[in-house]
Amino acid sequence: MTDAFDPVTLEIYWSRLISIADESAAALLRTSFSTIVRESNDFGTVLMDANGDSLSENTGGIPSFSGILPRTLKHFLARFPKETWKPGDCVITNDPWLATGHLPDITMAMPIFHNGTLVGFSGSIAHSPDIGGSLWSADCRELFEEGLRIPPTKFLIEGEPNELLQEIILSNVRLPDQVLGDLNAQVTANQVCGRRLHEFLDDSDLADLSSLSSTLQQRAESAMRRAIEEVPDGVYHATLDADGFDEDETHIECTITVKGSDLNIDYAGTSPQINRGLNTVMNYTYAYSAYPIKCALDPSTPRNEGSYRPVTVDAPEGCILNPRYPAPCNARQLTGHLLAGVIYRALAEAIPDRILADSGSAPSMRAVFNGLDPHGNRFSQILFASGGMGASAHKDGLPTTAFPTNSGAGSIEAFESVSPLIVWKKEFRVDSGGAGQFRGGLGQECEIEVRSAEPLQLSLLSDRWRHPATGVLGGEHGATSRISFSDGTIPHQKSRTTIGPGMRLHMEYAGGGGYGDPKTRDPELVLDDIKNGYITADAAKRDYDVS
Amino acid sequence: MNKRIRIGVDVGGTFTDFVLVDEERDLIYTGKRLTTPDDPSAAILDGTARLLTEAGTEPAQVHSIVHGTTLVTNTIIERNGAKIGLITTKGVRDTLEMGKEIRYDLYDLFLEAPPTLVPRHLRREVAERVAPDGEILLDFDADAFRATALDLIETEKVEAIAVCFMHAYRNPDHERQAKAILMEEFDATPFTISSDVAPEIREFERTSTACANAYVQPRMQSYLQRLETELQAQGHSGALYVMLSGGGITTVQSAREFPIRLIESGPAAGAMAASYYSTLTDTENLISFDMGGTTAKMCLIDGGQPDRKHDFEAGRVRRFQKGSGLPLKVSVVDMIEIGAGGGSLANVDNMGLLKVGPRSAGSAPGPVCYGLGGTDPAVTDADLYLGYLNPDYFLGGEMRLDMATVEQAIEEKIAKPLGLSTLDAAIGIHNIVNENMAAATRMHLAEKGRDPRRYQMIAFGGAGPVHAYGLAQILKLKRLIVPLGAGVTSALGFLVAAPAIDYVRSYVSRLEQLDWGHLNTLFKEMEEEAKGLLVDAGAQPEEITLTRTADMRHIGQGFEIAVPVPEGELTPGLLPGIREAFFQSYHRLFERTVRDVSIESMSWRLAASAPVPNIKLAFGGQSSETGEALKGTRQVYFPETGFAACDVYDRYALHPGDSFTGPAVVEERESTTVIGPGGSVTVDPYRNLICALP
Repeated sequence: MTDAFDPVTLEIYWSRLISIADESAAALLRTSFSTIVRESNDFGTVLMDANGDSLSENTGGIPSFSGILPRTLKHFLARFPKETWKPGDCVITNDPWLATGHLPDITMAMPIFHNGTLVGFSGSIAHSPDIGGSLWSADCRELFEEGLRIPPTKFLIEGEPNELLQEIILSNVRLPDQVLGDLNAQVTANQVCGRRLHEFLDDSDLADLSSLSSTLQQRAESAMRRAIEEVPDGVYHATLDADGFDEDETHIECTITVKGSDLNIDYAGTSPQINRGLNTVMNYTYAYSAYPIKCALDPSTPRNEGSYRPVTVDAPEGCILNPRYPAPCNARQLTGHLLAGVIYRALAEAIPDRILADSGSAPSMRAVFNGLDPHGNRFSQILFASGGMGASAHKDGLPTTAFPTNSGAGSIEAFESVSPLIVWKKEFRVDSGGAGQFRGGLGQECEIEVRSAEPLQLSLLSDRWRHPATGVLGGEHGATSRISFSDGTIPHQKSRTTIGPGMRLHMEYAGGGGYGDPKTRDPELVLDDIKNGYITADAAKRDYDVS
Repeated sequence: MNKRIRIGVDVGGTFTDFVLVDEERDLIYTGKRLTTPDDPSAAILDGTARLLTEAGTEPAQVHSIVHGTTLVTNTIIERNGAKIGLITTKGVRDTLEMGKEIRYDLYDLFLEAPPTLVPRHLRREVAERVAPDGEILLDFDADAFRATALDLIETEKVEAIAVCFMHAYRNPDHERQAKAILMEEFDATPFTISSDVAPEIREFERTSTACANAYVQPRMQSYLQRLETELQAQGHSGALYVMLSGGGITTVQSAREFPIRLIESGPAAGAMAASYYSTLTDTENLISFDMGGTTAKMCLIDGGQPDRKHDFEAGRVRRFQKGSGLPLKVSVVDMIEIGAGGGSLANVDNMGLLKVGPRSAGSAPGPVCYGLGGTDPAVTDADLYLGYLNPDYFLGGEMRLDMATVEQAIEEKIAKPLGLSTLDAAIGIHNIVNENMAAATRMHLAEKGRDPRRYQMIAFGGAGPVHAYGLAQILKLKRLIVPLGAGVTSALGFLVAAPAIDYVRSYVSRLEQLDWGHLNTLFKEMEEEAKGLLVDAGAQPEEITLTRTADMRHIGQGFEIAVPVPEGELTPGLLPGIREAFFQSYHRLFERTVRDVSIESMSWRLAASAPVPNIKLAFGGQSSETGEALKGTRQVYFPETGFAACDVYDRYALHPGDSFTGPAVVEERESTTVIGPGGSVTVDPYRNLICALP
């Protein structure tokens, strides 16, 4: 196939389409209410062509949303055939199976018309400030407890609000003004995307996107295929175990088949779905499988539909990675975040310098506090903090950094200013990084005291109490995580409970796995680790034989 | 008449630039010396003396010297500041290294973490704790602090100390006790207290700012001291000022205490110059476009003032990547900087696409055309090939550019691998760098919620006027301003800036729960400090303008907006008005209003400034040619015409009232202005080129 575009024009057009998605993201970020959108970048914007294939995604787009929007749009098009879309229409859903895997994520798409012809779609996904149901928790037994489910419906009809739908949504959420504000922010983002595409088509004199779209997809696809071809053909296998829920531990079987320029990931043999919110729908399973592959093999090519074509993912229906409706799935990150680790472990021998050891920060550990502050104001705050990242062939794992998600940590001062909580300690956890030629990143310890007169509600979402982040190629495990109360009691790791005035919650975040044999670590680095208190002298002696 | 000379000095990494204005004689002199990195004051003294001689005057005539420097920013980039210790509240010493716990590049598994200025073994803790409302939860352990400071100084030999305690922006009592101990018992060691340098909420940013200040303090203190002494020894009796990152000027005394506030003093000058021109040309909304050898900087000027913001990221490990540097709570001119300059290199990426920048040829070896050994084609090479630059009149003829090698380099490195003609490759380099700058500008406008159609553009810097017309076309701007002396425009900023300073105090509260007495105390403190400082910097007390704002947001929102706050005594009766002001600001930015979510304040700010000096930059006495402005024609490429004969003008022979139409190139010593077909240019009374785009 020959390109219809020369390399200069193509570079200019491609950059322009990415910046359209980025401007759309900027509009969303600027006008959104949701802390979770800001603090954990939990949103994405995508420009799609008239077939619903992705042309460009916002640069900072997060792993859980990569590549999903076009799939959701295909469902929209099944419900509302292409020829029925009118300018100003906006279709919405939060159906976990059609979209991104749990109810708080809202997906919206709008058509883009140019000179009367449908040329593409703008899409956005954002985590809503509230979706009704239980607060964020892992222990619901059915989807219906987790909040309101919106099937693909028109949120705007030719630019006019669907009043009935709005009323239904707003009557089912705790923070109706913020929720509506954020829905409108998504509409704004989609409109910005549409306007910028118009300008682009005017400037470039293209009638539509079809030939550009196929050229860009083909470029991205062949970049990904070239990258896969560098991986030796073979069948690679690894397994992973996680705490799961009580006696239902999560077991993941991962078989990766690389053949030429195709890469398939098959999760056959993985635990069945469970009646707790740990199930990850296929879309989410796909996204968290494709992301680590993209990072390892082809990190720099901009993403579009073509990037994902060479990577296929299978999981048996009814397993925890492909559950049947109406399985609960609110805390699906507790399972989905694990996939990067098992994928990298499977590929460790084949591409040792491209992968990471397992991360203690996967899955992310969260404590959600709800209640009244001393002024009587209702508050809800999530403590954002991360364990350590896995080490690689190139360097130690980053301390206290999320992977594969990228949720940052907010300020303690800001956290304390809007909640009756004091964080007495938030510091590196000594000796928590798995030993290795390169050491796993350190986790952290947090100690939080309740200062209100009334007990607060607490929801915990955690794993890795029993199963640490594993090292690779001779590297050691990181430290497991732990949560306890100051009275010595231990809460359930995935539960909703209360915490009384004056009580302290002690949280220890897991460390990352190490890479390579610890005995081959540069002794200077070991001594430096001792000097800075990243490891103790005892651990240095035991793990590295350095004193 | 006495003391009529103003001098601006910009100490850059390579060159120290000088500009001297003699208002009485309507003259501007400029000069350039190589920077003397070991002691920058050497180049300053030498250059100032020469310039005064050239201008036929003497130190005693100097009214003031305003000085900007990249010393602070370079110290942080090169990581050659002081060995410092940090003392924090017990439990949070790792805040500095944990940062925001975010990966600045989502797809790079091996990314390098932003630098930490204080290694963990020099980060120490003492018992103390303040709650967000200022209540003391745990008393300050003065003895432990004393012992810790002693150990850091005596045993570890740190050269400066930073102190940051939790919520010290709200109740600085413990930090003040710590400060008293340092002042009384360790007076030989410079120190920085977080509530002095950045009394704002968010402990990571405040700690980072305190550490960065301590890190540059020893070096800057001795440098400024030496400069002041030596200038006096030369016979200067005028004032010496320093430009702050926000574009205001301040005294050396204040700069010595908070050198971190000088981090962007150089770029701020460019924005101040652009602001001056926006007033001069009566332009309400202006995009300032400054393109040099390595980077392009864009900044929005509205109502004669550059946009400002109150945080900045320094010393990025990946230069143009947000999140890869040290966050600083300092007031800076809000500008974007991207890797697009005359020296930006073109290359073919692994997908067979043409990329330009951010890698740059710098000044050595420089672009291929300099003939100094550069082999990869740069933007300047493409500009030369396309006829925009005159090979015989680069830097006024000081440097001859080598066209033959350029053609060969573009052909070998770019055209052949891409299967393009050499011409198409050169056009591609020129266009892609313009597109990159346009994308960054659009993004900046989008992030700030501004409408590009309202804006005009001013272009300066060596490469700015070469690319401005193309950039303005992409952005669909209708008017372009190119001031005379594009290479010195930036330095003029030092002369048109006024004493100005920003203060801030964080006080987080829902509006309906504000403690008004506390708020009045905060503003009273800030106003007294500000007035004292500006009077020291030469302002008359009665002409100082004080502007109050607050950073507010809806509860639950993570994004604060600036809201005007009334002057005078604040009382609960003003609440409805403040709330209404919030709604208005909110609506202006987001085009909607959310009325039933509570509003909370985060920080309260005071901007204090003296009037801008009334300087006339008429360039009347500037070198001016009386001959024919139209020097001739040469072959220049434009998309509309292909290579075709194009008028070439001598910038110095263009006079107020002259006009011409594009295609045209206008040559001056430090730059060349390119006007495309359809552009029509008039020369205004200040000798600016004013170009209307079709």
